[in-house]
Amino acid sequence: MKIPWVLATFVLVSAGYGQALDFKNLEKLSAKAKDVTEVTLDGSLLRFAAKFLSNDDPDQAKVKKLVAELKGIYVKTYEFEGEGEYSESDLAPIRSQLRSPGWSRIVGVHTKREHDNTEIYLKTGGTEPGGLAIVCANPRELTVVNIVGKIDLEELSELGGNLGVPKLDLDKPKGVKPDGKKDDH
Amino acid sequence: MSNLEDDLKMALRREEPPADFADRMLARLSQSPEPSWRERLSVLVRPPRLQWVAVTVMVSVLLPFAGLQIRKQQQYNAEGERAKQQLLFAVRVAGSRLHQAQKRVLEGSRVGTRL
Repeated sequence: MKIPWVLATFVLVSAGYGQALDFKNLEKLSAKAKDVTEVTLDGSLLRFAAKFLSNDDPDQAKVKKLVAELKGIYVKTYEFEGEGEYSESDLAPIRSQLRSPGWSRIVGVHTKREHDNTEIYLKTGGTEPGGLAIVCANPRELTVVNIVGKIDLEELSELGGNLGVPKLDLDKPKGVKPDGKKDDH
Repeated sequence: MSNLEDDLKMALRREEPPADFADRMLARLSQSPEPSWRERLSVLVRPPRLQWVAVTVMVSVLLPFAGLQIRKQQQYNAEGERAKQQLLFAVRVAGSRLHQAQKRVLEGSRVGTRL
């Protein structure tokens, strides 16, 4: 079985000037969360930040190349003390935006054991804005990432193993045992 | 000899200076007179001093300006560094979540293949 979005496949999302997702609905979670991490890098700030990436550092050079055609990166991470401090209704406005034309869900993974729900959406097509959205929800943590613009998933995945992200070796899957039952959507 | 001639000879006759004349003259010469305020001011506008004044004025104008520029540059660099760290963090989060999803899809597909 082939993974629908095998890393080796070059996935390029053509994009124009995109619009970021509206995260306003999530702001109320800040009061409940133990830790909140928010990164808002719009086009100008992104270009400004990219200027400070070193070409001499291979990892930073890759990031520089990756973000060259991006129009924005937005990250919201909420960590909660206990479970059930946010509900699906908090995510509903985000999901609603991701159901609009142009967006398509390419990955949806739900793990029953960890109650972890990860969804990846791509925005593609014509003159419409492009980008990537990742929604990771588990009982104690909620992460929403929105990347606006032309994003090369292969390049982004190549950064796995760099910047502190462990590298996933997809070429040698046979020696690895699955550690739990996964329910793919 | 006329009286006039005698008078002239008398007036122009050689006369020896007093014994302490030379000492008094040297003593007076060694005493430098106190310069007036005009003299003092004129010292400033003499060509060599004028150059120093110009240099001083320029330095006193340029130094704060240069300091301001350096401070602005430092602020710019600090903001840039902060933005860079945010960018690296955002890419790290996006990359790790992508990685997480890939791993689960991969594991799920293996389970599917084995079944």
